[in-house]
Amino acid sequence: MSLPCRVSLLPLAALTLLAACGRETRDFSNKMMDSPHRGAKFAGNAWRISNGARLFVWMNCAGCHSHGGGGMGPPLMDAKWRYGSSMSHVAYTILNGRPGGMPAFRGKITEDQAWELAAYVRSMSARTRRDALSGRADEPANVEPLPLEKRRRARAVTPEQDAAQKESSKIEGTGP
Amino acid sequence: MRRGAVLLVMALGGCSALYGPQSSAMGQGMESAHIGNLFDLFLWVTVPIYLGVMVFLALAMRRRQAMVQGAARPEQEAGWRLGLVLFAVTSALILFGLSVATWFTDRAIARAGAGPALSVEVIGHQWWWEVRYHDPVAGRELRTANELVIPAGATVKVSLSSPDVIHSLWIPNLAGKQDLIPGRTSDVVLKVPKPGEFRAQCAEFCGLQHAQMALPVSVRAPGGFAKWYNAGLATPPVPGGGPEFAGYSLFTGRQCASCHNIAGTPASGQVAPDLTHFGSRTTIASGALPNTAASLERWIADPQRVKPGTQMPQVPLSPEERAAVVAYLESLK
Amino acid sequence: MKSIWPVSVLMILLAALVGLGAAVLATTYPAPHATFSDRPVVYGALPAPQDRARLASWAQPSPDGQWTWQLGDSAASRFSPLDEINASNVAQLKPVFTFDTGLKRGHEAGPLVVGDTMYVTTPYPNDVYALDLTRPGAPVKWQYHPQSQKAAQGVACCDVVNRGAVYGAGRLYFNTLDGQTIALDAATGHEVWKAKLAEISKGETITMAPLLAEGRVLVGTSGGEMGVRGSLAALDAASGKLVWRAYSTGPDKDVLMGPEFRPFYKQDQGKDLGVSTWNPEGWKIGGGNPWGWVSYDPELHLIFYGTGNPGPWNPDQRPGDNKWTAGVFARDVRTGQARWFYQTSPHDLFDYDDINESLLLDIPTRQGLRKVVARPARSGFFQIIDRMSGQVLSAKPFAYINSMKGVDLISGRPIMNPDKEPKEGRTTRNICPAAPGGKDWNPVSFSPRTGLVYIAHNNLCMDEGDVDTNYIAGTPYLGTEARMYPGPGGNRGVFTAWDPVAGRKVWEIREDLPLWSGTLATAGDVVFYGTMDGWFKAIDARTGRLLWRTKLVSGIIGMPMTYKGPDGRQYVAIFAGVGGWSGAIVSGALDPGDPTTALGFVNAMKDLVKRTDAGGRLYVFALPR
Repeated sequence: MSLPCRVSLLPLAALTLLAACGRETRDFSNKMMDSPHRGAKFAGNAWRISNGARLFVWMNCAGCHSHGGGGMGPPLMDAKWRYGSSMSHVAYTILNGRPGGMPAFRGKITEDQAWELAAYVRSMSARTRRDALSGRADEPANVEPLPLEKRRRARAVTPEQDAAQKESSKIEGTGP
Repeated sequence: MRRGAVLLVMALGGCSALYGPQSSAMGQGMESAHIGNLFDLFLWVTVPIYLGVMVFLALAMRRRQAMVQGAARPEQEAGWRLGLVLFAVTSALILFGLSVATWFTDRAIARAGAGPALSVEVIGHQWWWEVRYHDPVAGRELRTANELVIPAGATVKVSLSSPDVIHSLWIPNLAGKQDLIPGRTSDVVLKVPKPGEFRAQCAEFCGLQHAQMALPVSVRAPGGFAKWYNAGLATPPVPGGGPEFAGYSLFTGRQCASCHNIAGTPASGQVAPDLTHFGSRTTIASGALPNTAASLERWIADPQRVKPGTQMPQVPLSPEERAAVVAYLESLK
Repeated sequence: MKSIWPVSVLMILLAALVGLGAAVLATTYPAPHATFSDRPVVYGALPAPQDRARLASWAQPSPDGQWTWQLGDSAASRFSPLDEINASNVAQLKPVFTFDTGLKRGHEAGPLVVGDTMYVTTPYPNDVYALDLTRPGAPVKWQYHPQSQKAAQGVACCDVVNRGAVYGAGRLYFNTLDGQTIALDAATGHEVWKAKLAEISKGETITMAPLLAEGRVLVGTSGGEMGVRGSLAALDAASGKLVWRAYSTGPDKDVLMGPEFRPFYKQDQGKDLGVSTWNPEGWKIGGGNPWGWVSYDPELHLIFYGTGNPGPWNPDQRPGDNKWTAGVFARDVRTGQARWFYQTSPHDLFDYDDINESLLLDIPTRQGLRKVVARPARSGFFQIIDRMSGQVLSAKPFAYINSMKGVDLISGRPIMNPDKEPKEGRTTRNICPAAPGGKDWNPVSFSPRTGLVYIAHNNLCMDEGDVDTNYIAGTPYLGTEARMYPGPGGNRGVFTAWDPVAGRKVWEIREDLPLWSGTLATAGDVVFYGTMDGWFKAIDARTGRLLWRTKLVSGIIGMPMTYKGPDGRQYVAIFAGVGGWSGAIVSGALDPGDPTTALGFVNAMKDLVKRTDAGGRLYVFALPR
């Protein structure tokens, strides 16, 4: 059975636009927190990642982790994750701390702020949807922003590690 | 003269807010006085010129009609030519005169900033105003937010900067607009002869809540200003008990302390408005709500409903906890 | 005739392409690391014997060939009277034994030797080992593992280092990262007492080596990057009870300033300056941690130590001179009362902590010998300060400085360069010296035989940009992003021989990497130091000529020491274990893709990963029998 020769482009365009809507939604009423696909929703939302970038400086994450390179804390822009790289792992790390020095931020930030930070942290190693990532820094900065290609290159350590990380992120449906 | 023009506009359907605390028509600042005088001068000069031009236009149209009908007399041409030359020379002289007057006004405004002045720094954030008063003794520097209090009669030099996007400070009654540009420091000089209460707002689109970024400006008598300043430097005491103490414990133990600062408490956050003497402010969230207990409760319960996009999150508090925090904050006079 | 245009255009395009390609290659492939000659650059002659500085008259450097304190003696000389190893035979040094700590973080401490036991302290978890020097291979006699909080590693700014222990009256005293001071019985390793002086929940840690003086153990906090209000505490050496505690900011009663306090300069005179030179409440999170070295004059009963940087790094958030940070204190060791203070860096803009060591020297002047404090400061100036009054007699640069134009000796204030002042909203470029300063904590040595101070230090510059920072207890309080790179000349490190009386360099050796090891001077006229890629070097104390070097398993940021073993021979010991702030890229496995990493230091050290590995091994050398 053959398809009609000229498929109308209008519904296709409409569908594409609808798919892009989620990326720019401003979720002021915090409905994303109640969603079953919370991780994917946060990680794929440009506004959430932008808030995460702001909170990363405000909550002094940059004081220990610099802008991904590490310092008092380990680097965040590479592929080595001590405690897991999925959205829920990173949000857990932020809220509850980890032995070895990561402080617990529960009670210092709200839960949705922790998930925004998780979305931003994952974006530092290009572990996010390409279209949700900001093309340039949202705030005036003292260093040039790291382009996506540089972040992607920073990710690759060993093929096994990369595969393992992809597996763990599949559970959240957040994609590579 | 100005009042007359204003009344005319009102009569033609202008709004009654022209007499209010946020009106550029009734300028009360030093700058406004100078510019008002210049405005009057321009009005007195240009209105007769306008009327004269209209008269000449009418005459010319009449003459054209006459020419068409064949009643023109060529010997009148010479007189017209002289008149035109005189007119051109007079216009040039008048324009030159007006330019000189403008130049003098501009110099007068610039000179007003010289000499001893109170130095205030206003930093525009998205979407609130941080205000820092400078003092040669560092221990007497006052930091506050969302209110600008200045003494009447004194020269106040306000330096403006922004860490995020371009804002603009506009106190219509007192001065013109001045942009707050990231990476630069601009300034505006205020010199207000008489006390009064005014309302300023951000005048450069700066994001989601640009419309709710007002700044109450209070001009007080020098004695009143000194009293306010010293009260601002005083550290509020830690509450002894009751709901205020419960609110204090919640404020310093929960998310509030991560962003806000209250002197004399462990809450030393620097990224949100300083709340040390919050109880004596007139508005909440930079003009979004009046400062009453009910409004504060509404604000803390869901800031996004009042000012969607604001950077304050919805802090999880039970209604009793919220009431305690409200009681504590309102007690910070 | 065929037109020449197409060919010409093609040739031009080709040339442009080649040029562009070369430019791209040059910028993407870094040049191989520059090699700097080991040959010293000589600037002048050694001082004549009558013009030489002398060690303080009461100082007795390391009698009996023991080594009981990291700085050698309380005058901070790091000089050993042992002369078996000298310029003619040092090239024959061979390793005798090694000791692995099993840790791979920065090893900044040096071992102590008392009698026939060697005491070794490690970075976090701050283990202590006693090695029996009478047996071959120096086996472990006893070991002590303190109970400490693992989370302390998260609030340590500059690697989880420890700068060593001190020995006195049969006991060993040392600090742990999570804020404890512990006294051990040196013979058995049993804990005698334990005191808690710092809270990691507030961002406080302790990394310094305590000083023992007049029955008091002096301990200073760390945490200037975490908004910690610094303090120096004196504990009773017998019981561990707190005798006094002097804060570095706040009201006079906290800073222990009373009627004895007689500062030389006008700007330091007044009441409660530790409050009024800050924005309201700023002093409570103001820094000033004394995490470095303390010296002691037993005749004057005075201790001399410097306070660290004010917090936050961003100066716009803390207007005022920010007393009493970034300056040097003289205090009565018995009561803690301040005698004088000199602020090296008022309203500090560049993280010029003033915690470097204070050498107690007597220098010849026309009026005779004058007692002074000689300090190679972080700001790059070598200060000579009168020991009794606190007056600065001279401050000459031993490193390249463009952040300050000099020091005005009348007012005592440094003359700042307004072009180099960091401001919010703009990046200030090429500030020299960079934040680690002309020299950081790693201590110098002084040889009374040559009259020279041997300084292993940096040649780094930085770009700095500031943003308003937030304060949350237990998290960093900085507000600054920096990026460091080599200073003028391209060499990141310098070894300087300095004449403190004349205030000039006599000779210097340019090193590729910053020098973060201590230096050691001996009576054999040999000076020892180590480089960050693991070369342990011996040079001639007079000329700087390289006499011997050997490559160790890891970079060297520790302090070399020398002792006389139970068999009467002279031994030299050094730890190899790169890390600290400078070596964090290796010990912390940091990512150089972000130039602001480790407060900008990683940007200057990208090649270190290829040149050395992390490690933790003590090497002991001696001449062959």
